[in-house]
Amino acid sequence: MAEARIAVRHFNARLWLSGAWLLIALLAAIFAPLVAPQDPLAQDLMLERLPPFWLQSAEPGYWLGTDSLGRDLLSRLIYGGRIAFIVAFVAASVACLVGSALGLVAGYFGGWADRIVSRIVDIWMAFPPVLFAILLIAVFGTGLGSVIIAIAVIDWTRFCRVVRAEAMAQARMDYVESARIAGFSRIGIMLREVLPNVLPSIIALLSLEMGIAVIVEAILSFVNLSISTDDPTWGGIIAEGRLSIHQAWWVLVFPLITLFLTVLSFSQFGEGLKARLDPVLR
Amino acid sequence: MLFRRLLIRLLTMAVTLFGVAVIVFVLIRVAPGDPIAMMLPPGATEADIERLKALYGLDKSLVEQFFIWLSGVVHGDFGTSISLRQDVLSLVLGRLPATLELSVVALFMALMIGVPLAILGTRERGTAVEAGIDVANGAALSIPDFLWGLILILLFGVLVPVFDISGRVSPQLDLPFTTQFYLAESILRLRFDLTRDLIGHMLMPALALALPLAAIISHLLKHSLKEVMDLDYVVLARVKGFSETQVILREALKNAALPTLTLVGVQFTFLIGGTVIVERLFSYEGLGNMAIDAVINRDLPLIQGIVLVFALLFVLINLAVEMTYALLNPRLRHG
Amino acid sequence: MTACLEIAGLSATLANGVRVLRDVSLTVQPGEVRALVGESGAGKSMIGKAVLGVLPPSVHVIEGHIRLEGADLLALPAKERRTLVGAKTALIPQDPLTALNPSRRIGPQMTDRLTKILGWSGEKAEARIRQLLDEVQIRDPARVVASYPHELSGGMRQRALIAAAFAAEPRLIVADEPTTALDVTVQKQTLKLIAAMQRERGTAILFVTHDLGVVAKISQKVTVLYAGEVVEEADTAALFADPRHAYTRALMRATPRYTDPQASLQPVDDAVLAELAAEIATADRQWRRPHG
Repeated sequence: MAEARIAVRHFNARLWLSGAWLLIALLAAIFAPLVAPQDPLAQDLMLERLPPFWLQSAEPGYWLGTDSLGRDLLSRLIYGGRIAFIVAFVAASVACLVGSALGLVAGYFGGWADRIVSRIVDIWMAFPPVLFAILLIAVFGTGLGSVIIAIAVIDWTRFCRVVRAEAMAQARMDYVESARIAGFSRIGIMLREVLPNVLPSIIALLSLEMGIAVIVEAILSFVNLSISTDDPTWGGIIAEGRLSIHQAWWVLVFPLITLFLTVLSFSQFGEGLKARLDPVLR
Repeated sequence: MLFRRLLIRLLTMAVTLFGVAVIVFVLIRVAPGDPIAMMLPPGATEADIERLKALYGLDKSLVEQFFIWLSGVVHGDFGTSISLRQDVLSLVLGRLPATLELSVVALFMALMIGVPLAILGTRERGTAVEAGIDVANGAALSIPDFLWGLILILLFGVLVPVFDISGRVSPQLDLPFTTQFYLAESILRLRFDLTRDLIGHMLMPALALALPLAAIISHLLKHSLKEVMDLDYVVLARVKGFSETQVILREALKNAALPTLTLVGVQFTFLIGGTVIVERLFSYEGLGNMAIDAVINRDLPLIQGIVLVFALLFVLINLAVEMTYALLNPRLRHG
Repeated sequence: MTACLEIAGLSATLANGVRVLRDVSLTVQPGEVRALVGESGAGKSMIGKAVLGVLPPSVHVIEGHIRLEGADLLALPAKERRTLVGAKTALIPQDPLTALNPSRRIGPQMTDRLTKILGWSGEKAEARIRQLLDEVQIRDPARVVASYPHELSGGMRQRALIAAAFAAEPRLIVADEPTTALDVTVQKQTLKLIAAMQRERGTAILFVTHDLGVVAKISQKVTVLYAGEVVEEADTAALFADPRHAYTRALMRATPRYTDPQASLQPVDDAVLAELAAEIATADRQWRRPHG
């Protein structure tokens, strides 16, 4: 009993810290024009490769330094967050809806539905994820829409597998039997009884998926296959940083830290939320 | 019994590959842009275009086209690369060994890191050492291979420049190899100077790929080992006089190994998928790197070939894992 | 004559401070069989585990001494203690199925202590095991040695474990309810076997059991345990002839007798238990004062 109490306290820290970072980053992204100190696209070759504020030749107003074209790094990071969060929320939600729906049907109804869905998942999982994504980009062209579709298309299987497994386990439980006996329709049972019990897992997975979406977008923008405009992306900044790593290490380090913190926060937030919501653990 | 299982698995494998082929074909055909126009020089006449279309069978129905394409694939004809103007299959097979070597080295590293950590964590269970290992695992698990690659570049390419962070081999070296399996050949030919150079280039990308897998191995194996550690036969082993480490190795490891092994097999396919971006990061001349260039150049035949080869690799590895499990299982289970 | 095993004032607690062993003292002379009897949860297995150094991590020894042929086990560094225990003692476990690794053959599980800990050669170890398997009346030793545990019957597994225990010529064997998991008919044979092998070799045995019938058959001395406290100790014959403590008497009444099937089973009297509880509470209070 004492263990459970300590565990809950531990989870809370996880939840609050990760939630805090996500909130800060999200708010910064939403209110970018108000928060960002400079114009993210403004180039000024007089200010190129300025170091972050605590170093010698730093310039006030350019807190994290500038890149090789004189653009303010902090502003670019804040604006880059817009792309990251849009992709995260939309792509993850689409993947979640499609995957969970299919997984629920496959797990609960079993039989032919399960066989077909499982076969599709197997085929899907034979594709290496990043390769599949860039293949889709090659087919549909670059752009925010393509990126979102690509991520949703490659990762719905993650939800499908987990939801299917949980739905199967729940479908065998006594309370489902009693609902059947009481005369409820199968779909009704699936939505009213099974889904709420599977929901904590879905939520945790959704948060994790957002983190994955951010990473995939970063990879795509790293190889310049993400959005088609000049807007800054975290992956794009990293690519620049990679090139000028010896002259301006900050251009690589800060987006890396931002990316890391965001992805970590998404996964920890999901875990913490799941622990809170799971009626068994409570 | 085993044979029948193998047959069923091969059938499933074939269905999966067929499905992959269908998806790839559909995607290629759905791509906007005229593939013929891309292949012809500007200024080609209508007649030229029609002739080329007929040549490539693009005037036939979609289903017919698919089967023509499929029969080509089965015979090894993946078409010609638009950007590199060579036979796709030979291009792919040319780069495949590099990626395979990188993946195998990464797998090896993951085991070398993960297994000892699991054993250490089991031996020191309940202490701060185990807690430390858990924290390290948690961190490594949340950091995907892409980020690890960047971190490693920062640490060992810039901060403490020890390793080469670019390419597969130092360009000035003269390579006496007949195949593309550089690492294997350098060892077989006893050219250990070359081996050292190759490993030096491979170390960082392999580590980036290995770390997430090492964390998974460490976590799962430790869990499986800990489950066994309070069983009666383990207690008896301690009474016999064996140290905790010996007990783990002699009694627990065998029973805990199987579920870990099957997971590792599956995760290996993810690791191979990770080579696409990690190779790019380190400019390693493998299949993944070529894939990205192919996409940038919209070289659809080449992309197609690479995707199919990767899919085949994945399916084969899954098959191997299943067969290994079936082989080892009856002996470990009760009869 | 140095006692083979001497336990003096052994107290052990759980993490929350509750005592599971209360100032236990007992001695086993060389070649002697001492029974340690009590109901489930009395702590008798705990004592055996303490001697062998395999207490569960939740139990801590607070004070006392365990001397094996004079050597104070609790004072030794872990490695030396492990080596000493491995060389001079052995365990006959309670459940022959869970005490054997299901994924290893019987043979290596019997010889590994001999070859890896005691440094015997492979041939010597195998020869010894074969000899002992013969002694425990296993008819086809070659087949048994090559088998996996699940391929043998419960009785055979237990006999193999008994053989393995005696193989290294230990000075002391801790037998932890070795017949409990067996069928009644097999129980009797197994006991006879252990008794015969013990007599032949002069090995001392600390025999843990809850069955007074077993106590009568195999031991020369008895220690009766209740809630981690020694309630009575005597020569076996004397104990059965004239049990001193009320609890011992109650225990004997609670044992079914085939000679008197009419007499109903008598559970231990509440009054006796209450008296014991009071004794224990007082002892704990006195113990806690200096220990805080």
